[in-house]
Amino acid sequence: MQIQLWQALLLAIMASLTSVIGCLGTTYSWYTLSRPLVASLVVGLILGDVKTSIMVGAAIQVVYIALVTPGGTVSADLRAVSYIGIPLAVAAVKGANLDPASVQGAGLAVSIGALVGTVGTVMFYSTATMNLIWQQIGWKAIDKLNYRIIYLTNFVFPLISHFFIAFLPTFFITYYGTDIVANLKEWLPMEGIPMKTMFTLGSLLPAVGIGILLKQVVQNPVDLIIFFFGFTLAAALKINLVGAAFVGAMIAFLNYKIIMSKAGNKASHEEDL
Amino acid sequence: MSVKLTKKTKNSAFWWWYNGNLTGFTHQHMQTFGFMCAMIPVIKELYKDDVHRLRSLKTYTPFFNTEPQIGSMVVGISVGLEEARANGHEEIDDEMINGIRAGLMGPLAGIGDSLIPGTYIPILLSIALGLSTDGSPLGAIFYAVTYISTMTFFMKYIFDKGYELGGRAVDVVIGEQATAFRESMVMVGTIVIGSLAASWIGVSTALKFDLGTYVLNGVEVPNILRLQDTLNGIFPNLLSLLTVLFTWYLMTKKKMSPITVMLILVAVALVGVLVGFFDPGLSY
Repeated sequence: MQIQLWQALLLAIMASLTSVIGCLGTTYSWYTLSRPLVASLVVGLILGDVKTSIMVGAAIQVVYIALVTPGGTVSADLRAVSYIGIPLAVAAVKGANLDPASVQGAGLAVSIGALVGTVGTVMFYSTATMNLIWQQIGWKAIDKLNYRIIYLTNFVFPLISHFFIAFLPTFFITYYGTDIVANLKEWLPMEGIPMKTMFTLGSLLPAVGIGILLKQVVQNPVDLIIFFFGFTLAAALKINLVGAAFVGAMIAFLNYKIIMSKAGNKASHEEDL
Repeated sequence: MSVKLTKKTKNSAFWWWYNGNLTGFTHQHMQTFGFMCAMIPVIKELYKDDVHRLRSLKTYTPFFNTEPQIGSMVVGISVGLEEARANGHEEIDDEMINGIRAGLMGPLAGIGDSLIPGTYIPILLSIALGLSTDGSPLGAIFYAVTYISTMTFFMKYIFDKGYELGGRAVDVVIGEQATAFRESMVMVGTIVIGSLAASWIGVSTALKFDLGTYVLNGVEVPNILRLQDTLNGIFPNLLSLLTVLFTWYLMTKKKMSPITVMLILVAVALVGVLVGFFDPGLSY
């Protein structure tokens, strides 16, 4: 799969726009356009293959399903995952003649996406560091009540950081890298240990995404029962995700009623006294 | 003489925050510049002299960082307090405003992170993944439209609540009813994530044991025990469930970072392949 100059340029622009600290703002960029599933639609439109791109993006999305960034620490920069990882994964899956819907196709995509994402954390920390330069300028503007400079510091100067740290790397990696991964089969045999490990790793990695989420909601191992219940709905009862959401909503509704009625009893009891 | 902020100014404070809460992020100041940008239109309208403008702008220079979407409430509260200060409420000083700001940013970060990226986004994405299984763009569109519209509405609502209630707004997010609601939401999230794990993770083993042969209807049939079939007989997709529990254990009980856990999985994959436990069984 040969990538055109304009395609690499568009991918690089998207990467610049969509970090956790991207210039489109948190709601649009970090929580929407950088999510691999949403990004895979954008990448698919740019590369001219929406179907493959979305299948690849969906597989990668599972790894980053519950990415939380407490106190400005990230374990992956999603713009790297989405706008470098997905194009490379699409090229690799197509180059290896794999069905993107198969376990193996998804496995290869996930391995590439997670590798790029982990290396991509460098992008996040470098951008935050480079922005310190602009804040030095902005800090001086406060005493002079120079509102324009304060706005520029928050909205415009960081674009320079994005140009060097997101735009240029994304452009060069996608422009030159797709060719390399597309020819994977010429230098890595499928029966070899490296490729076998990569596919296996791809099937294991989504568990980390789920583990990250469980870490937040389950402190007491007994709470794992709620998770087991959800797992059983799909694994043993074959209920799909929308169905599981409704079953979950019903149970949560009951839980809410129970807590509130307990609180109500306590309140009326106190009134009696 | 009382000054009342126009609707236009309040809206512009909201939108500056909405678009710029993290754009100039550094680890030194995080959302401080975003906060100032939101307060500038308010300060300009309330005060006509540079002395007061400078004093009020400097009120918002201390460090600020929270979950920025639920954090729009703190911006609303500050707008309300600043308006009260301009109307001569002398008890409202830098110390009081920053006390409320600093007091809220921790709890709101915890609540916001567990509710938004920890619960709401995974539920929406799980449903979206279900809509996109065959490579359809529907899931991506569903997520983008639903998330942006509901989150924008929520942020504006909570901003207005903050402005109206001032310091009392805290009860809306950490009151008894809100806590019960939040716990229930997290419950839906955990159940959906369980289903997601079962549908999207497919860890399987290639290990099989040759138990010789047995005779069936006079024909000799090889007797091969496939471990994967045995495990699925115990519980469907058992290996995936165990893998998830393993990562949860490493991160929660062993306090490892997600990146360390990923590296451990690289080792697990490599060793598993070498001993023949894992084998994707592919060829070009």
